[in-house]
Amino acid sequence: MAPAFDTQPVAAPRLRVGRWRAAGLAAVLIVYLAATAYIAHTDLGLQSLVLVAAVFGILAISLDLVAGMLGLYSLGQGGFFGIGAYATTILANDYGWNVFGLLVLVLAATALIGMAVGAMSLRVSGLYFAITTFIFTLVLTVLATDMVTVTGGLQGLLGPAFPDFPASLEWLGTPLVWCIMLALLACLGLVWNIRHSPLYPILLSIRDAEPFAEAAGARTAAIKVGVFGVSAAMAGGAGWLFSFLGVVSPSQFDWSVSLNVLVMVLIGGINTSIGPVVGAMFVSMFPNVVNINPWLQEIVYGALSILAITRLPDGVVGIARRALARRAGEIAPAADAAAEALPAALDTAASPASPKDSEVIVECRGIEFGYGLGPKVLRNVDLAVRRGHIHGLIGPNGSGKSTLANVISGGLTPHAGEVLLKGTRVDGLPASSRSRLGLRRTFQAAQLVKELTPTQNVMVGLFDRVPRIIGRAPFWPMLASGRRDLAAMQRRAGEALSLVGAGDWAVRQVADVPHGIEQLTQLASVCVAGPDIIVLDEPATGLSAKEVRHLAAILANLKTQGVTMIIIEHQTRFLFPLCDRVTVLNAGEVILTGSADEVRADPVVRQVYLGE
Amino acid sequence: MLQFVLSGVAIGSIYGLIGMALAISFYVTCIINFAQGQLMMVTVMVTAELASSGYPVWLAALAGVACSCVVGILSYVIAVRPILLSNRFSFGWLVSTLGFAVIVENAAAYIWGPTSQAFPPILNGISLPIGGAVLTAQQLLAIVTAAVLAAGFEIVRRHTLFGKLGMATAADPEMASAIGANTTVVAIVAFAVSAIYAGIAGLLIGPSTFANPYLGDTFGTYGFIAMMIGGGTERPIAAMFGGLLLGVCAEGANALINSQASDWFPFIVLVLILIVSPKGLFSTSNPLFRPRRAAVTRG
Repeated sequence: MAPAFDTQPVAAPRLRVGRWRAAGLAAVLIVYLAATAYIAHTDLGLQSLVLVAAVFGILAISLDLVAGMLGLYSLGQGGFFGIGAYATTILANDYGWNVFGLLVLVLAATALIGMAVGAMSLRVSGLYFAITTFIFTLVLTVLATDMVTVTGGLQGLLGPAFPDFPASLEWLGTPLVWCIMLALLACLGLVWNIRHSPLYPILLSIRDAEPFAEAAGARTAAIKVGVFGVSAAMAGGAGWLFSFLGVVSPSQFDWSVSLNVLVMVLIGGINTSIGPVVGAMFVSMFPNVVNINPWLQEIVYGALSILAITRLPDGVVGIARRALARRAGEIAPAADAAAEALPAALDTAASPASPKDSEVIVECRGIEFGYGLGPKVLRNVDLAVRRGHIHGLIGPNGSGKSTLANVISGGLTPHAGEVLLKGTRVDGLPASSRSRLGLRRTFQAAQLVKELTPTQNVMVGLFDRVPRIIGRAPFWPMLASGRRDLAAMQRRAGEALSLVGAGDWAVRQVADVPHGIEQLTQLASVCVAGPDIIVLDEPATGLSAKEVRHLAAILANLKTQGVTMIIIEHQTRFLFPLCDRVTVLNAGEVILTGSADEVRADPVVRQVYLGE
Repeated sequence: MLQFVLSGVAIGSIYGLIGMALAISFYVTCIINFAQGQLMMVTVMVTAELASSGYPVWLAALAGVACSCVVGILSYVIAVRPILLSNRFSFGWLVSTLGFAVIVENAAAYIWGPTSQAFPPILNGISLPIGGAVLTAQQLLAIVTAAVLAAGFEIVRRHTLFGKLGMATAADPEMASAIGANTTVVAIVAFAVSAIYAGIAGLLIGPSTFANPYLGDTFGTYGFIAMMIGGGTERPIAAMFGGLLLGVCAEGANALINSQASDWFPFIVLVLILIVSPKGLFSTSNPLFRPRRAAVTRG
């Protein structure tokens, strides 16, 4: 079912651009390492200033990973930070454990705790996630303060010493500087890689359009918990580093630290690669730069953070980027330009049309469903869709059409009855599993990520067609297979967009495209995966007459390729010519299933629906 | 037993008032004002300052609450409104309300110094024996005031147009303004009321804590816990129940475990409650006991 990605040789101009980019990257790396070497030999005052900023930089990156890409505003980063610092200090000082062994332990432990907290708090969304993680930090601070015998109470504990370099490496300077700066580099690299992998559009679609990601086969809940685990481990690792910088005490990890980390991310620029580090530098160096009465200093800090958040919602990096873009005319498209339109493909891609009485591919038996305490929305609904058919689903508003679509595609679990896909019972399975069985759906109101391009949105549709996206994401641009797959995904997404006629819009932001193009992008993101069954929820809504005719041609073409479709639609003039069968719903019950002509002729249908 | 229950209810009604103050501003804007504890502190500091300069206590208290009210409205105008205007679903308010709290707290420390100052005792000197227990008249005043304010808010919310307007504004500000509600005024009134609730809580607790610029931190946190235990994000009055529970738990832990237990025991209660019912004990989503709701049965 998953079509293999043919490897297409990368075009020569792109290769040259790639070389320039690699050279630039190497130059930045060399400067970074040179700066690290300088700091490793400089005086202790500057060292501790830079190192504290770097540790907070890691903390800010860990928050941006969940807040920027997944929209999960964690206030638990201070807690994980504290766990890392206390565990290292206590186990190294009192039990003499090896500090590098402790790093592994800290990373594993904080990742597990993070996943547990995430799994618990993601039952409730958005604000409650922030609150639950906030309380997590609150409780840890209380424990650290009150368990005086273990943690030293408010006084805190003196952290362990960082091991020295072996004699042969002593010329490098202070080992802790190297350790912290390389850790910061690793975290920056990790996030940069994820940002340049196909996982990025998927994470953003989980943030902005969760049903869309779920329908594309992403197990969104598991991905959220997993990414939060990574973020927690990063914060725990920052705590490990922090323990070598001096005294570890509760006030360094309380909830105000969690909030300060959020200030760093927002000031620097949320969902940017270096924004969090810029913000961390600013916030942690602020007291040293502005050296006035401590209370006045705090007042200035508070005022600045309010100003930053209200006046610069994109942060420093966002502003810089906008200024650069204005100078360069327009932002260069990150994705490949769409391949030239392939109108011929509309006619040539035919495969044998399905026989008239083929097997039943989607079947609903006795579906019952109701929302909450309200009345039943679906009552004893039976529906059988044959392979290769276009099956229309019509009915007045509120008759349960969209609900039935959700029951079939996995958004809702029926109270009674069975849903079978290709003979497999799927009710109770999540939407992502049904995607693996070859079922895709579109939404009545297009669910897309506004800040990405249509191409990137269509790439989300390829999520379960490309192996190991999540596993490879942390190293993606470094892997030959990653670069190759990304190019192939971009090409296929571009082709899919051209095929539906949205190729001209491929590199614009979705926020800037007209409604019709959003609908077509949605359709492309479904088609690109080569599904067997597509559920379309009012695909023609808001389209112009010309666009509707175009859509009809696309759907007719898909049918010749043997794709089964279930289409919910009000525009019967568009729908009936396409359909092999039409089912009419009224008040949650099937009143008729038949050919378009039969439906049109039926007196009951004419009365309840066609209004005659 | 009776002693710790009664004194728990007394301190709990103060936590509950701050919890309700948080919940009232949440109720209209769907944000948590992290400066709520500081609003309480403003009343305490101003009242202490005026009372020690020789003004009558009632006038000082009135001026204190009025100051809180002004600062509360400022917190909305400066820290909340710009954020909600640009993006209603952003979490920028986490930062801006905290920034506001930092400003208020440090301004107070700058003006009055970081040490505690005398606060007028109000009714703290009078003891009332109740059964085998003893309460001060101030504690009784706290309980009575909290009960009146909680009930009063609930009546306004349920039975006046203004209360319903608050709900409408929280659910969908654009829709609410489309039907003619001035959402800004509704929000400003909510912040003013919440500041008054916090200020009154300050007057009730002031005689036993004295006036300290950092008072807002502790009581803001306890108020927050009260709101979360109770489920005040859904119904402000639930924050009062949460506060009472919190107060009794804290006093009970002190009496029955040891004198430090009130520092950590409430947090354990909080965590347990949130594991069972993430939106609070008295919320509609609590799996243990749902508040009775008229079942809609149609067709």
